[in-house]
Amino acid sequence: MKIMKKATLFITISVVVTAFFGAFSPAEISLPAELEIGAKAPMTDVEVKDVSGEMVTLKQVSGDNGLLVIFSCNTCPWVERWEDRYNPHARLAEENGIGTIALNPNAAYRDRGDGFEDMQERAKQKGYEFYYALDKNSEMAKAFGATRTPHIFLFNSNMELVYRGAIDDNANSAENVKEPYLKNAIKALGAGEDISVKTSKSLGCTIKWPS
Amino acid sequence: MKTVNRNQWLMAVFALFLLSAFSLHDRSVKENRDGDPLLKDVTAEELKGIIESYEGEKAVLVNVWATWCAPCIEEFPEIVEIQRKYEDSLQVIFISADFADSRERALQFLKDHDVDWTTYFKAGNDQKFIETLSDDWTGALPFSKIISKEGKVVASWENSATFSKFDKHVKRALNL
Repeated sequence: MKIMKKATLFITISVVVTAFFGAFSPAEISLPAELEIGAKAPMTDVEVKDVSGEMVTLKQVSGDNGLLVIFSCNTCPWVERWEDRYNPHARLAEENGIGTIALNPNAAYRDRGDGFEDMQERAKQKGYEFYYALDKNSEMAKAFGATRTPHIFLFNSNMELVYRGAIDDNANSAENVKEPYLKNAIKALGAGEDISVKTSKSLGCTIKWPS
Repeated sequence: MKTVNRNQWLMAVFALFLLSAFSLHDRSVKENRDGDPLLKDVTAEELKGIIESYEGEKAVLVNVWATWCAPCIEEFPEIVEIQRKYEDSLQVIFISADFADSRERALQFLKDHDVDWTTYFKAGNDQKFIETLSDDWTGALPFSKIISKEGKVVASWENSATFSKFDKHVKRALNL
């Protein structure tokens, strides 16, 4: 009888454990959810350290018409390919009353090229004309649902997301771009017009999350 | 006349020997005669057709990688091992998302890792490619997707994975 009870208990526990783990192993593994269009910018009052040494918040960086956030890094070939378009977009954003900041979320690569000093060197070497700040422990990236570098988030004056995705449709060549998504979005935002393409996707380097 | 015939026979036999040795040596040559046996350009639409062609025959593990992508390189040998483990019931479909100027580098990497089946090189528009492979993929590399023999997506994820994670989901895809 005791053996029967033990066997029943064992089977019951097995079924419960299997059901528990089964329930938490979905067919599609959920990815970090990207901010939805219309969502408010998170962590706007949190200070991040710019390569100049200055501590800034997203609220402080934003202009009268909004804020452009670029998740970027030093160690991604996709960033290298698009990097020639960083300054022109930052300038266009400024002309349209939009502030620009690039955030480096690669917490696991701080000792492999994405450290603060590496960022300072990169900003100097490439002549960045915008803020380039450290996203400590990838906290901003997590809050934004950023997944890769480069990954773009554009907010309006109410700090609501109006465009998310790629800079344009051609990493390899600025001359051969057919869809200048971000440029169009910045111009429309500056002019107070509706943005026609609100999201886009591009290949990029996965964010190196802290372990 | 007799001598000529004997030489012709010997040459024919030798030619047959070379032909069979070559085809045995490189299985992928049989699978893909019209292009590079290891790395073939593929558009989003073509890839969709290739994946679907295994429905009812094998489970499929799709992996998008690039030579410049450190997490991709880390997990690559694990995926090759998975293909060896489930040789008859699983087809690994590697797609290199390298830039066109790194095609040779990608090819050399495949050879260095003893990949001996046809793999693919992404061609065409990135966004279309991403959306064709999965609605849930944002574009970050590496990307993996496991599909059962019945064509059902069992799992998909961005970022790298361990052998045990691949193995776990492949087992689910194969109902093991």
